[in-house]
Amino acid sequence: MNLSNLLKNHTALAGAIITTIFLAAVVFGPTLSPWESNTFNFGAALQPPSAQHWYGTDSLGRDVLTRVLEGARVSLLISVGGVILAMLAGVTIGLYAGYYGGWFDMTAMRVMDLLFGFPAFVLALFLMVALGFGVTNVALAIMLVYLPIFARITRNSTELVRDDPYIQAARIMGQSAPRILFRELLPNISAPILVQASVSIAFGIVIESGLSFIGLGVQPPMPSLGVIMADGQEYFRPAPWVMTMTGMTITVALLALNLLGDGLRDMADPRLKTREA
Amino acid sequence: MPAYLTYSLSRLIGALITILVGSLLVFLVIKAAPGDPALVVLGDFATPESIARFNAEQGLDDPLMVQYLHWLTGLARLDFGTSLSLAKGQSIGQMLAFRLPNTATIGIYAIIIAILISLVLGTVSAINRGGPVDAVSTSVSVLGVSMPDFWLGYMLVLGLSIGMGLFPSYGFVPVSESFIGALHSGFLPALAIAAPMAAVFSRTLRASLVENMDRDHVTVARSFGHSPSFIFIHHVFRNSIIPFIVVVGLQVRYLLGGVVIIERIFGISGVGSLMVEAAFARDYYLVQACAVVFLTIVLAVNFIVDVICSMLDPRRVR
Repeated sequence: MNLSNLLKNHTALAGAIITTIFLAAVVFGPTLSPWESNTFNFGAALQPPSAQHWYGTDSLGRDVLTRVLEGARVSLLISVGGVILAMLAGVTIGLYAGYYGGWFDMTAMRVMDLLFGFPAFVLALFLMVALGFGVTNVALAIMLVYLPIFARITRNSTELVRDDPYIQAARIMGQSAPRILFRELLPNISAPILVQASVSIAFGIVIESGLSFIGLGVQPPMPSLGVIMADGQEYFRPAPWVMTMTGMTITVALLALNLLGDGLRDMADPRLKTREA
Repeated sequence: MPAYLTYSLSRLIGALITILVGSLLVFLVIKAAPGDPALVVLGDFATPESIARFNAEQGLDDPLMVQYLHWLTGLARLDFGTSLSLAKGQSIGQMLAFRLPNTATIGIYAIIIAILISLVLGTVSAINRGGPVDAVSTSVSVLGVSMPDFWLGYMLVLGLSIGMGLFPSYGFVPVSESFIGALHSGFLPALAIAAPMAAVFSRTLRASLVENMDRDHVTVARSFGHSPSFIFIHHVFRNSIIPFIVVVGLQVRYLLGGVVIIERIFGISGVGSLMVEAAFARDYYLVQACAVVFLTIVLAVNFIVDVICSMLDPRRVR
C-alpha cells in the first residue's frame, strides 16, 4: 500500500481528497471564519443560508457553518480518540489471543462476543448512565463499541500468519514475544486494521452525534455535531437549515471516510476487487 | 440426532451462558456506578435514617452475590423488579410488555423495507454489473451507509411530512389499535432505520450474486441451454441467499441501536425510548433491565440465524 497505488485507486483517492479538505476545513475553518461561534446576535437570528452565512444562522443569531466547523473538531477528536483507544486495546488482545490460542484466546474472545452482543447505542447509553455524561465518556463508549471488532479482526489475521516462515525464523532467533508480535507480525496484518479504523472513525462520529443529540453526550455550550443538531431540532420547522446543513456535512465526511475505507480494502486485497468488478 | 440439532443445541447453550455473563456484567457495572439508588428515590436531602431504611427494604445491604442471584432468579421468571424513579414502583416487566410490541413492529417493518429495497438494488446491479445502473446503485449504497439514521429521519419528515403531508411527523399508532395506522405512522421511522441497512444488504447480495454467476455449475447450466432466468433463480440466487441471511441477522444489532434514537425522535413508546428516559431519570433498575433485554434479543436472533443457516447448508455444521 503506497502513494502510487492510492493514485491509481479512484475510490480511495476520492475519499482521501474529500477527507483532507474536510480536515483542513475543521482545523483552519473556525479561525478563517469572519464569525465567532458563540457570540449572540439576536438581530440576525434564524436567517436562511445566504452569501454571508452559508449555512444560515441559529436562534441566537450565530453562524451555523462556524459552529459546525468547531463542532466537527470536537466530534472528530472524540471519535478518533475512542477509535485509537479501541485499536490499541483490541489489537493487543487480538495479537496475544491469536498467537497463543488456548484458554486466553477462548476467554478473551467470549468477552469480546459479549460486548459485541450489545447494540452500539445501547452500550453507549448504558455507559453514560454508569459513568455520567460528557466528552471523555462518549470517547470511552466509542472505544467499547469498537474494541471487540478490532480484537476479532486482529486475532483472525494473527492466527493465519502465526506459523509463517518469517515468524518461525524470528522465534528461532530467540526474539521476545512482544517483539515478534508488534515488530514482525503486526506490520503484515495492518491493512484490515487500518481499513476498520477509517470506517470506525466514520461511525464513531455518528455515535457521538447521536448521544449528544438526545442530550446524553457532549453538553452545551460546548459545540459538537450532535449538540448543534439538538439545537436545530428545537426550531426545525421555522429553520430546517440548521439540522439539514449539519447532517449534510456529517454525511459528506462519512462518505469520504467510507470511500477511503472501501478503496483501502480493495488495495489491501486485490482479489476482492477483481471479484467484484 | 441430526447434525444440525446437535449444533443448534450447542449454540443455544453458548447463548444462554453469554446472557448469564452479560447480566452479571450489567449488574456489576451499575453497582459500580457513582450514583446511589436511595438518593435517586429519596432526593438529595434524604436523612441517613430514611436512606438506611430504603437500603434495607430493597435488599441493598446484602452481599453483592446475593443481590445478583436475587435479580437473576427474578429475570428467569420474567420479573424485572420495579422502576426506581421513572415510574416509581411500577413493575418493569409490565412496562416492557407494553413497549416491546411497538419496538418489534418498527424493527420488523424496517427489516422488511430494507430487504425489499436490497433485493431490487442488489439483483439489478449484479445483472448489470460494470454498467451505469450498477455504478448508480453502488453509489446510492455508499451514500446510504453514510447518513446518520436519525438525521435521515428528520429529512424524511421535512420532505414527506411537512412538505407533502403524506405521513405524520410524530406519534405512533400501535398495531393492537390499528394495523393500517401502524403501517402509516411507522413508515417514516422504519424507512429511516431501513435505508442504511438496505445499503449493506444490497452490497452483500450483489457481491455474492456476482461471485456465484462466475462459478462452474452456472457455466454448465448455461451450456445445457437453460434459460437465463431459470439459471439465475435456481443456481445463482439460491446459493447467494445464505450470506444474505447472515448479514440480515448481523444487522439486527445495528437496527436495535438505531431504534433507540429513532423512537425518541418520532415519539414511539418502545424499549429504546424507554431506555433513554430511564437514563435521564437515573432509573438504574430500568436501565439494567433494558440492557439485558436488548442483549437477549440480539443473541436470540443470532441463534435463529445460525439454526436456519445450518439447515440450509449442512456444510456449516462441522
